[in-house]
Amino acid sequence: MSELTRRLFLQQTGVNLGAVALAGLLGREQATAASLAGSHWAPKAKRVIFLTQSGGPSQIELFDHKPGLQRWAGKELPDSVRQGQRLTTMTANQEQLIMPGKTQFQRHGQSGATISEWLPHLGRVADELCFIKSMTTDQINHAPAMTKFLTGHQIPGRPSMGAWSSYGLGSPNKDLPEYLVLISKMKRGSDQPLYDHYWGSGFLPSQHQGVKLRNAKDPVLYLRDPEGLPPELRRGMISGLGELNAMRWEETGDPEIRTRIRQYEMAHRMQTSVPELNDLSDEPESVFEMYGPDSRRPGSYAANCILARRLAERGVPFVQLFHPDWDHHSRLSSWCTARCRDTDQPSAALVMDLKERGLLEDTLVIWGGEFGRGVAGQGKWDSPEGGRDHHPRCFTLWMAGGGVQPGMTYGATDDFSYNVAKDPVHVRDLHATALHLLGVDHERFTHRFQGLDYKLTGVEPSRVVNDILS
Amino acid sequence: MSLTWRIVLISTLFVSEAAWGEAVRFSREILPILSDRCFHCHGPDEGHRKAELRLDEQGSVRELIGSGELMHRLSTQDSDEQMPPPDSHRDPLSAEELSLVERWISEGAPWEKHWAFEKPIRPTVPDGEHPIDAFVMERLRKEGLTLSPAAEAHTLRRRVSFDLTGLPPATMDTESTWGAMVDDLLESPHHGERLAMWWLDAARYADTDGYQADAERSNWPWRDWVVDAFNANMPFDRFTIEQFAGDLLPEATQEQILATCFHRNHMTNGEGGRLPEESRIDYVIDRVNTTGTVWLGLTLGCTQCHSHKFDPISHEDYYSLFAFFDSIDEDGKAGGGAKPYLKYQSPKAKPAVEEMEALVASCKEVESESKATAQRDFESWLPKIRATLSEDYEAWAPVSSNGLVSAEGSEFVADAEGSVTVVGPNPIQDDYRITVSLPEGLNRLTGWKLEVLPLDGGNLSRGASGEFVLTNVKLLLRKRGQSQVRDLEMNSAVASSEKGAKGRNYGNVKDVLNDDPRNGWTTTGVGALQTAVFALAEPLEVEPDEELIVVLYHRSTEGDGNIGKFRLWMTDQAGETVRSLDEAPFEALARIPGDPDKSLRERLFQQYLVDDLAYQKAKRRHAQARKQRDQAKKAAGDLNVMVLSERKESRKTHILERGVWDAKGAVVQREFLPAVLPWQREAPSRLDLAQWLVSPENPLTARVVVNHLWQMMFGAGLVRTPEDFGLQGDQPTHPELLDWLAVEFLESGWNVRHMLRLMVTSKTYQQSSVVSEEVLERDPKNLLLGRTNRYRLPAWMIRDAALQVSGLLHPMLGGPPVKPYQPEGVWAEMFMGRFSYEPSIGSAQYRRTLYAYWRRTAAPTFLFDSAQRRVCEVGMRRTNTPLHALTLLNDVTMLESSRALAESVTSIQGLARQVLGRSLAEKESVVFAREYLRAFAVYERDAAAARQLTTVGQQPGRADATLAARMMVASMLLNLDEAMTHE
Repeated sequence: MSELTRRLFLQQTGVNLGAVALAGLLGREQATAASLAGSHWAPKAKRVIFLTQSGGPSQIELFDHKPGLQRWAGKELPDSVRQGQRLTTMTANQEQLIMPGKTQFQRHGQSGATISEWLPHLGRVADELCFIKSMTTDQINHAPAMTKFLTGHQIPGRPSMGAWSSYGLGSPNKDLPEYLVLISKMKRGSDQPLYDHYWGSGFLPSQHQGVKLRNAKDPVLYLRDPEGLPPELRRGMISGLGELNAMRWEETGDPEIRTRIRQYEMAHRMQTSVPELNDLSDEPESVFEMYGPDSRRPGSYAANCILARRLAERGVPFVQLFHPDWDHHSRLSSWCTARCRDTDQPSAALVMDLKERGLLEDTLVIWGGEFGRGVAGQGKWDSPEGGRDHHPRCFTLWMAGGGVQPGMTYGATDDFSYNVAKDPVHVRDLHATALHLLGVDHERFTHRFQGLDYKLTGVEPSRVVNDILS
Repeated sequence: MSLTWRIVLISTLFVSEAAWGEAVRFSREILPILSDRCFHCHGPDEGHRKAELRLDEQGSVRELIGSGELMHRLSTQDSDEQMPPPDSHRDPLSAEELSLVERWISEGAPWEKHWAFEKPIRPTVPDGEHPIDAFVMERLRKEGLTLSPAAEAHTLRRRVSFDLTGLPPATMDTESTWGAMVDDLLESPHHGERLAMWWLDAARYADTDGYQADAERSNWPWRDWVVDAFNANMPFDRFTIEQFAGDLLPEATQEQILATCFHRNHMTNGEGGRLPEESRIDYVIDRVNTTGTVWLGLTLGCTQCHSHKFDPISHEDYYSLFAFFDSIDEDGKAGGGAKPYLKYQSPKAKPAVEEMEALVASCKEVESESKATAQRDFESWLPKIRATLSEDYEAWAPVSSNGLVSAEGSEFVADAEGSVTVVGPNPIQDDYRITVSLPEGLNRLTGWKLEVLPLDGGNLSRGASGEFVLTNVKLLLRKRGQSQVRDLEMNSAVASSEKGAKGRNYGNVKDVLNDDPRNGWTTTGVGALQTAVFALAEPLEVEPDEELIVVLYHRSTEGDGNIGKFRLWMTDQAGETVRSLDEAPFEALARIPGDPDKSLRERLFQQYLVDDLAYQKAKRRHAQARKQRDQAKKAAGDLNVMVLSERKESRKTHILERGVWDAKGAVVQREFLPAVLPWQREAPSRLDLAQWLVSPENPLTARVVVNHLWQMMFGAGLVRTPEDFGLQGDQPTHPELLDWLAVEFLESGWNVRHMLRLMVTSKTYQQSSVVSEEVLERDPKNLLLGRTNRYRLPAWMIRDAALQVSGLLHPMLGGPPVKPYQPEGVWAEMFMGRFSYEPSIGSAQYRRTLYAYWRRTAAPTFLFDSAQRRVCEVGMRRTNTPLHALTLLNDVTMLESSRALAESVTSIQGLARQVLGRSLAEKESVVFAREYLRAFAVYERDAAAARQLTTVGQQPGRADATLAARMMVASMLLNLDEAMTHE
């Protein structure tokens, strides 16, 4: 890239990186793993795998053990605890009767993390994980809460965390997009659609938006050539287009044409690299045993976890899985357990697999959903039919690798798992911390749009959670 | 091919706005610096103001100048005193900026309002030239530059045709004069469609609500209103007034009320758990922000939560504007409850109905012909098949398992008949995985059968109730020795008995197909054998080295219902056999001595038809045609269009603290933004607001709108931030030209067509886009307008152009939305099957993109880079990614257009003229010829591939190597940078 194009690029994108390395921004050609260094500080994590659990998993059943709740079973939630918390219209007109957690807990590993019986595999990797039990958000309904969780703002349209990461860091991989999204294929997934804006690029250039890797004939939209078009003809066509476009470039002097030539070449490479990535036939049997029986079924969360590891191996900086249907307003014992079974073994396997391959130390794994669930029972508190409504004030999230302290539990909630009692971590703080691990100061990483400097963490104060950094 | 490098004189420095010797202009040179560096903490927002100091007012700045503090703070190196402070992450002033401020002070520090808040005054045109050229050339002259020469004629024809109609030229007409061509284009009905696309993006128009439910709405008659308004060249002031307050006009017509749908095109949220009032507030906010962006070029969204940090607009001003929209007779609901509605019948739906009726008729005929053919084949097939059936023929073959695994520790005992009894531990919940081979004698698999056998004593499970609850089943296919499995789709389940179940509960057998443990199959049939039959969505050929895995899930809420004893069966019979529990037609045929009676014959024929692919295709197409016709008929009836109407009693409007919907602050009254144009009206209405917007005194609207028009014609506005004319927005590149155009627009009676004609008849518009590296270096963003911007066309124009050049385009105007091709499964994935997308068939497929169905949460996939239609957008998105390339290479519209081009044009030069509007140079022809020959050689060897390639969209395939090779060339042409570029 010439000095001129470089300057042009910066003017046009309106980026303000402070001291962030420009390598990622200036075209993948130069962006090698080595050149990612030299951001605001040396990054601990070179890539992120975000295991997004959409719908709001119940921290009370899964992580936030509150044995004292048994004494409160069926009693009204004290106002001193509720403190005016808004409810959704689904339970606003019902008594708030406490429903104790439906699971047994054990302490796991040397760290003694409390993990429920519904997540037996996760218990085995407890010493690799850092639990944040004091996560908090300010949105009570799914779409705004997920939008906030992923983009820093509840109204759709801001760039997602993955887009910011891709924008700031670039990728050493020339053959794959920088930000890939994998959604579990489920027959009846959930009532919460997974909107494109969750991985959108907002006002950042659109090459930073997440590319959905689908479990379909076209793993990336329009990737497949039509039937009856042999690869040699496609190759010839791409070369021919390159030659013809180069002639046009000579005549017009428009640098955009050179970019177009490169993008057609990249598109062509993706036609090979993506199917290769998706083809798990080179994975040994032991891998499928590690990730569990579901991993044999393409499109499952478990299979996507294997793909996530393959993407990490290939240097893709941001991989985001979505597992829908954690919105358990009823029947926790059949419904929530179903989602636990989908995700428990593969999530644990991914952490171990990354560790065994030496990738965990510079890969940040994040597991969590957009909010938690309330302590009051929805429906009958004393029936197997009981479920829980949305709860924004506290939830549990875990992270692993990438510069995060292993075997740690940070923050705590009150006796009702209702309010944060210690060390609150707002979703903004999570963003600040993740960017910090990627070597980026969230305060200095801004983009000018409509006359304002935007950043992922928005305008409210946010902090890096230093205590959990290794 | 002539190389046209332009030689220009290069001066070494890009001269800044203020040439030395001229006085510093406060509003254009100083105010932006103060705004950028100081206003964040010392600006109009009292909430964030530090040290009680504001620098947006002349008085306090004067004081600071007098004391010397201003220059000191701006220039000191002392980090404790420096402004802006280092921890603000705002850059200190550059040396040039400092010297500007110094000069401004030395010139007496004159103070002005921000330029955009001063009413535009028509500047004198410097010369006798075309006014646009006069301003542009004057500016270029100052820089020692000139306009570029005019572009080549074919380039100009394409350019103006795209700009004014969104389509490439329909003919190769080279005779007309420029003026006549422009007039023709402006008169074309496609002109209104082109402008409508701009307006729909700004209006965040879509065919669904957005958010979770994303329910359909029927507001498309408003889209047609917009097209009609532009085609009638409705003056922009009237266009504004009708959309803001058509309902408040005296004796408002239906169309005037329809126009107000503009302010109902925002998203509506029907998410469970959402408070309607909270949503209603969101909608009002959206209207205010949209008004700010589209008419005023102001980022009013900032003042929703606090006073503006840069522009003189307070938190209170925002809610005073909000009050104009706060008394709409709405209640925040979405879906079918989003009143107020206008009951409206669109005259534009009728042609669609007529077309669909004709399509249904032709599809019906194809289906019955295909059925007649099948009938003949059936007659000769029946005796042959009968001869193969022995008397004891059974459609279902018993299955023996190769492996039985329990997830939770149950154990299994299988007997010789294939029955499996479950023994050992009895967990609360369990999954059984049964690995089987396809039974001998079956050549394919169409369905399977599960028998739940009573245990001794009649119980169906070992649980307390004796009943079983099967929550889900799966059928997987695995190649021996391979790790991965394939999930086989099943689309029907029937059972011998089901417990009645309402809502999401245990009972219905079909619920075992939905992956939801909260429902599933159970019976009230303890004591008797229970049977369920499952049909595969597609018949499956099973290879000898493949095995099948049946998984039975027992994951009910209360558990304790694992099946106690079972047996599996499989069949290769399609149709009725796998969709009912009755005797299979073949079994019936095998059992009878003589000829089958009429009813059995019919059953056998129906089964035969299931496997007749040609018939099935014709039947599906006929069904799709009927569906489209029914939709069109519905669209031709009474529609509910979301419009504005005022409540009898106005709502009391409060300032919302921090923009939070229920944090009500002081009560405010309707008021016009004082910083823009103070106006007094008694109890002002929305109609007054509209009139205020288009008042000749309003300094913003004419400038902002004329800038939009300029952006459409030139690819970038005179103000490069069309959404922000405030202090943080860009300054106009040609301030006087902008003001001249704004006044001209006003004085022409808001005549949009006049303005467009004025623009495209300028020399500035007609310049070449060719640029030398030197000029690119000197003016990379083309701020001086010394050339035409060269940029990729928006995706919608690329699609429309492909349809036009291939002759596929169906030019009908208006009517209900249509569904262009998009890859399978996109909606289904996002909505977990709740919505699925079926591309339109017939000519509806080839309508302009303007009419494409717009699901808010899943915009048409082929529109890479489009506005998102969630909130108002007026900027341009222009990126260049591999995904765009893939779309243009493989989208069915692009391929079908290539196929149609290959059919109608026989030479490479002819194809080029059709797509590019010019002939190829020799060196270009060589490349195309090479690829043509390469393709021809391949397809001559492989006729099947030629047939496959040419089978695309609604075009029949042909084993024709010439056609296939030409199609490749056409596809290449459509993918050329030149073909997708505004040159």
